[in-house]
Amino acid sequence: MQDPGARLMAAIHLPLPRWHRRALRIPAPSLRLNRWILAAIAVVALSAMLPVLQNSAATSRGFQLQTFEAEKTKLNGQIRLLEADVAQLSSLPRVQRRASELGLEPGFDPIYVTVGEAGPVPAKIPAEYLPGPARKTDVPEPWWRSLLSWVALPD
Amino acid sequence: MAQSRALGTRRVWLPAAFFGAFALVLLGRLFQLQVIEHSQYAEAARQELLGSDTVFARRGSILDRNGAVLAASVDTWDIYVNSRAWKDDSIAESASAALGRALKVTAPELRNMVRQSKSVDVLIRRDVDYETGNQILRDGIAGIVALPNTARVNPEGDTGASVLGLVGQDNTGLAGIEAAYNDLLQGKGGRAVFERDTTGEPIPFGQHVAEAPVPGHDLVLTIDRYLQQMAEQRLAAAVTEHKAKGGAIIVLDPSTGEVLALATQPGLKYSTLDLSDQKSIALLRNRAVTDLYEPGSVMKVVTTAAAIDQGAVTPDTTYVDQGVVYLYDTAIRNWDFNVYGTQTMTGVLQNSINTGAVFMVEKLGATIFQRYLDAFGFGRPSGIDLTGEAAGIIRRPSDKGWSPVDLATQSFGQSISVTPMQMISAIATAINGGKVVRPHLVRAIVSADGRREDVKPEVLGQAIKPETSATMRQMLYAVVNPGRFHPGKPRDYSAGGKSGTANVPIPNGYDDHQVASFVGFAPADNPKILVLIKLDENADLMTGTQAAAPVFARMADDILHYMNVRPDAAKYAAAAP
Repeated sequence: MQDPGARLMAAIHLPLPRWHRRALRIPAPSLRLNRWILAAIAVVALSAMLPVLQNSAATSRGFQLQTFEAEKTKLNGQIRLLEADVAQLSSLPRVQRRASELGLEPGFDPIYVTVGEAGPVPAKIPAEYLPGPARKTDVPEPWWRSLLSWVALPD
Repeated sequence: MAQSRALGTRRVWLPAAFFGAFALVLLGRLFQLQVIEHSQYAEAARQELLGSDTVFARRGSILDRNGAVLAASVDTWDIYVNSRAWKDDSIAESASAALGRALKVTAPELRNMVRQSKSVDVLIRRDVDYETGNQILRDGIAGIVALPNTARVNPEGDTGASVLGLVGQDNTGLAGIEAAYNDLLQGKGGRAVFERDTTGEPIPFGQHVAEAPVPGHDLVLTIDRYLQQMAEQRLAAAVTEHKAKGGAIIVLDPSTGEVLALATQPGLKYSTLDLSDQKSIALLRNRAVTDLYEPGSVMKVVTTAAAIDQGAVTPDTTYVDQGVVYLYDTAIRNWDFNVYGTQTMTGVLQNSINTGAVFMVEKLGATIFQRYLDAFGFGRPSGIDLTGEAAGIIRRPSDKGWSPVDLATQSFGQSISVTPMQMISAIATAINGGKVVRPHLVRAIVSADGRREDVKPEVLGQAIKPETSATMRQMLYAVVNPGRFHPGKPRDYSAGGKSGTANVPIPNGYDDHQVASFVGFAPADNPKILVLIKLDENADLMTGTQAAAPVFARMADDILHYMNVRPDAAKYAAAAP
């Protein structure tokens, strides 16, 4: 007696009858895609994606902006603290205490001496912090500078 | 097969009419909501969607005349605990331990505070240091709510506190410069409007119409912190030395009216201020502009200036002092009960002779003398930029009960009450060429964008002629340089001045307490400083010359050295007539 499984397999392998072997007349969609259509689809897809991308970028920027604003607020607070610290460090009581710790004492009354020469003009900024005399340079002017005289520039 | 049309029976029409009517009601309601009440609901929706925050404006700083910071604002945090979040004991324990470490408080203490409070958000501490607050926020401790705030810091400590004043918890000035210039210092808070999500957080790039905060202006004072510190120290020392109840020292530039230092005692001290104590509230007023006193013999400067300006007397006019003047059965005697005999008007000032002042005021007459008192600024506020300034009290001929005795006593500084600021302003007028200048404490106003607007000296009028003023300087120089030792004479600078000692008035008379004062200026020919020293109720009963004049002499030397003014005592003495 033949195994039923084997019989089934044999039936599957049997050739189809002739009328079945004719070409099926089922209308199949044409896969010939025009490149213009493809381009249009791509444009439409991109257009659809664009707002999503824009929103995503805007949201990221927004979060960044919020972070920066928080950072700015924090830094401003720290600046004010530092300013207060500087004021505290340069306050009279603190300077006097520090001077006393260093062994300094109040000076005597000043002695005024009359001299024939005019005194120096007091500078508001110590000399070491003032810009030095302008250095003379031997490097010739670049050629294009002469062109500037041809251009009418606003005063 | 032909279809027959359904007949219009009730079974068809009634439901149709019902549904039709229902549809109409719906449509009507929709029309009402969407069209008629559109704007109202749109606004409500917008309100629901939008949140807003107040953005604090930075309160302006207060600087001294050289740019040193006297008061500035720093950011702080107010720390609250949401008591609901601490219902769970394990959460409360861990959170209180973390918060306690940051605030240096024990955890049980914090938990007790939260437990005992009836409010949901319990204020744990106000004005927590900015960095500490940031750390607490970073730690993400459960139930902590931190609200931004600002606090006022005074780097110079108590120096100048009575001038600077105080700022309340709502960042509004309560006293001193902080109150007088609150509008300028406070700035204008901004507003941030944002769309929020369901959790209430701002939506990034949501509608954000922000009204930027306008920071407050910075104020540059006329006060010099070094001179202010000196004035406060010298006043404290004098009050202790003479066992006085209090006092005041004012240092003024007589030509511009700039107040270089203003010390009062008792006065505001940040280090010991306790606003829960009612007595402390009294310290908020600046006694140099709010409290009145009878100036005593310092007033003779005004009487003499008026008499000379009017041409009633000259410095060399003589009269005979008999030690007493009788007016309507009232005997007016000299302060020391002395009889000085023939005296010039300069001698009247040098010896502070009451009868000499009466002699001058009788020559002037009540009307003219009152006119001069008005011209010198008595009886009205000096106009200094501090709040609560008193106008002073002058008894006038039109007042009920006025008698010529009042006029006579006013000539030597009784029956007239003034503030120390009024008195120093009047003496400034007497020596600065006769100009009545408004005393002021603010030198410049600097806006947040760096624009500086200088406050120019304001001349309110001309009380006496410049020649009279020059004569007064000479006469007051003679007071401090009488040819013998005078405690008010500075060592290195020429100076002039006048002392005053007056009893404290009580209803229907005077008590035994006194006010000792001295007003002096230096250098004599071109005064750079005018100093008023006043000691209230000094228990040692020393006079103004004995108690207050030495303070002036030392201060004049020190201040003018500090201001780099060349000493002129020897030169002036040689050239003086």
